[in-house]
Amino acid sequence: MVENILQARSAFPEFSLSRYHQLTIAVREHITMVSLAAWDGQSEKVQSVIQSIYGHSLPQRPVRVGGMEVSFLWFGPDRWMAVGERDGGRDLEENLKRHLHGLAAVVDHSDGRAVLRLSGARARDVLAKGLPLDLHPRVFKANDVAITHASHIGVLLWQVDDAPTYDIAVPRSYAHSFSDWLLDAAEVFSAI
Amino acid sequence: MRITCPYCGNRSLDEFLYHGDAEPQRPDATADNAMDAFVSYAFERTNPPGQHHELWYHEAGCHAWLVVTRHVSTHAISSVDIARDLAKARTPNTAGRA
Ligand SMILES: [Zn+2]
Repeated sequence: MVENILQARSAFPEFSLSRYHQLTIAVREHITMVSLAAWDGQSEKVQSVIQSIYGHSLPQRPVRVGGMEVSFLWFGPDRWMAVGERDGGRDLEENLKRHLHGLAAVVDHSDGRAVLRLSGARARDVLAKGLPLDLHPRVFKANDVAITHASHIGVLLWQVDDAPTYDIAVPRSYAHSFSDWLLDAAEVFSAI
Repeated sequence: MRITCPYCGNRSLDEFLYHGDAEPQRPDATADNAMDAFVSYAFERTNPPGQHHELWYHEAGCHAWLVVTRHVSTHAISSVDIARDLAKARTPNTAGRA
């Protein structure tokens, strides 16, 4: 079996949790991400399939819907990213592939993306050093999603709650560069 | 310069790639004058001052192709449309893949 040969390894082997003054940076392991891209003309069918299976209306603008088990992030026009907890398997990918056969391209990103979680009152200040977006609560709120870049690295970012907490997914091969930048940017908040 | 993506909102220019004039339409490759038409389509631009319709790709964002109407002297952007919608409106009977 493949599982016996390939052992899952963290994209961030050098740290798991960093605490600063009013800021925590943690690695989100055990996450599964699967992109859905509706074939031309099939978007409404994709939406009704997801509605009937998961009970969520796929968003038409950059927000997240869903709950703890699985959520759906807007990921471009007629595209979404399903995000869930990975309990060892690839159930999410397999379920989506089965139900959306012929309607959408379903691609697993679980091992291709690395996800960090920033939380605390200083999270906005750290991200402001490299993310070209206004995250002020007036314009970017809980469940808002953005595809952009941070420190020249493409990111998918979503706000989890009003702490504020942000999850940031980067291509796995950029995980080291990204965490280097982020920890450097956060350094100033280590002294209280 | 900033571009307001209809999907993502107002974003910095460095998220976008410029892909040229949005006006030329791909000629009919089976027409008798196809060679001349393709030379014109590929190479000939009048480049007047004033409003241009330009193709921009939201490369670091939602990956949508946009048609940006921009004044090339002032850089003022008067509209941003989704290229796919404009293309479909031109050729309404292309159903796409099932
Ligand atoms: Zn966009």
